[in-house]
Amino acid sequence: MDLLREIVQWLGLSRLELGFWSFPVLLGLIFLRAPIGLAMFLMGLLGWIFAMNGNPTPILAKLKSETYTTFSNYSLTIIPMFLLMGQFATLSGMSSALFKAAEGFLGHRRGGVAMAAVGACAGFGAICGSSLATAATMSRVALPELKRYGYSGGFSTATLAAGGTLGILIPPSVILVIYAIITEQNIAKLFLAAFIPGILAAIGYVITISIYVRLYPDAAGTRAAVPWAERWRALAETWPVLAIFGLVVGGIYAGWFTPTEGAAIGAAGTGLVALLGGNLTWRLLGEALVGTGKTTAMIFFIVLGASLYNNFLALSGAPQWLADYVLSQGFTPILVLSVILLFYLVFGCVMDSLSMILLTVPIFFPVISGLDFGMSAEHVAIWFGILVLIVVEVGLITPPVGMNLFIINAMDRSTPMTSTYKSVLFFVGSDIVRVILLVAFPAITLFLLPV
Amino acid sequence: MHRVVNWLARASAIVGGIVLLALIVLTTLSILGRELSKLGHAMGEGSWLLALGVDEIKGTYELTEAGVAFAIFAFFPICQFHGQHATVDVFTAGLRGRALAGLKAFWEVVLAAVIVFITLRLYEGMLRYLGNGETTLFLQFPVWWAYGLSVGAAAIASLTAVYCAWARLAEAVTGRPRLVEH
Repeated sequence: MDLLREIVQWLGLSRLELGFWSFPVLLGLIFLRAPIGLAMFLMGLLGWIFAMNGNPTPILAKLKSETYTTFSNYSLTIIPMFLLMGQFATLSGMSSALFKAAEGFLGHRRGGVAMAAVGACAGFGAICGSSLATAATMSRVALPELKRYGYSGGFSTATLAAGGTLGILIPPSVILVIYAIITEQNIAKLFLAAFIPGILAAIGYVITISIYVRLYPDAAGTRAAVPWAERWRALAETWPVLAIFGLVVGGIYAGWFTPTEGAAIGAAGTGLVALLGGNLTWRLLGEALVGTGKTTAMIFFIVLGASLYNNFLALSGAPQWLADYVLSQGFTPILVLSVILLFYLVFGCVMDSLSMILLTVPIFFPVISGLDFGMSAEHVAIWFGILVLIVVEVGLITPPVGMNLFIINAMDRSTPMTSTYKSVLFFVGSDIVRVILLVAFPAITLFLLPV
Repeated sequence: MHRVVNWLARASAIVGGIVLLALIVLTTLSILGRELSKLGHAMGEGSWLLALGVDEIKGTYELTEAGVAFAIFAFFPICQFHGQHATVDVFTAGLRGRALAGLKAFWEVVLAAVIVFITLRLYEGMLRYLGNGETTLFLQFPVWWAYGLSVGAAAIASLTAVYCAWARLAEAVTGRPRLVEH
């Protein structure tokens, strides 16, 4: 203890300086492969001790209840429930129903089977809040079909990787829940605001596909049109998706139940669909629970570390100082926003979206909310949340560590990673166009929100 | 030892999952009851629906908080056993064999130390609530019960963490992989 005190005195840093220095050190630990939650926890712990002049007692007392309070936080209980809902969704058989319906309507067009895959991903995103699960589940259904109709390997995998990001763009979305909690925004409004950008993303990917097949006519085969009666029948089969999505998102929004209750109903409903479809054996239920467990623990360890670290940052006053500094420089708001979004794009190439949001939103959000975008504070917060959600998700499909790319490539060993990389750049382009549109016209995002 | 810890981690995750499932069912029933009771009131005071006595299940909120906290602690072992904690791998991707194994072992040891530390702090927290006899607002069950369950799950997490640290150290020394990552 005395040694700690001496180190602190020798360093002679003020709390503000501690706050600033902690960030590069934290990044250094993370880049040296420290588990992200662990790195944040350690820096939070050390930061607290240093800020208290080497006295560990306050933080030790705080930690008696800190973990339990974080893990039992009612707003956060929505996360494991949505994760289990996603696990059930993959077992529900809805992925093939959605793909069949989308294929009926789109399949005969040029590049139509790929478009159908995107459409089905969008539908699946409405009952699944995770990109990786959406990409993996839809690939299982759509990859064989794409192959069958002569779509090239890299084009198929890239389409599904991009389509997978719709899982998180279209509500429910685990990342939006986290953002809502950090910035104290209304989850229902964020879900509603994400809806149109999510649809725009799907449309953007469909346009991308249609451009791609014109540039590379060999990349896609053709298939015969499906009779209309069969199309409607296939569409009708997807009603549980619409029912569950409507009930969960509509019910949360209408105030029938809290977001956590909505997630519980969604999980129960999706589980029921899986059960009635005969897809839910004991073994698969066990796998679904274990899968939920792995992701839940991974997320909550980061949430715990981030909560401790952000606590220390707030104590140091560094985020507020940064916000004041940026404001005093008189940069235009759009410039500041663009720099932040660019930062996310670059960082998204190496770090997973959730960690990035937990790490940086507490630092950037005070800056953004201090700027004048000519909108109410709430609208700025929601708009910024949707923009951040999109740019961090781009990281899922950009080399070198786009997780969606890895997941799909693992399912299609015959396609080399490089050909996926080449094709996926078109979809990244579509994402960037969409971000620019949404930045230029905030009304697209805020349009559905009541005034 | 490997098989025992594997079994323990899986069992713990499944128990946590069952608690989560139970909370989902409980919450769904509670909302159903609440909506039916609203409907009953709308039908008038003497309606048969009200006579059935359906209503929301009181205390769902408190049970959800305590149950999810337990479930999360119970999920930690399986996450760690399968090396699922999020890391940034690009900057150390160039490391080969022993160097990478050594780095992984180092962080696994630190992680184990932190998880044991968290468990001990949680245990202290439980003792505090045991001492002051605080109960929850609605169901009036002692807060230390909830803490106690979480301490139990966290103890399994600590055990798994220590085993994983040992296994990673062994990997670094012998160069033979022991833990699967998926």
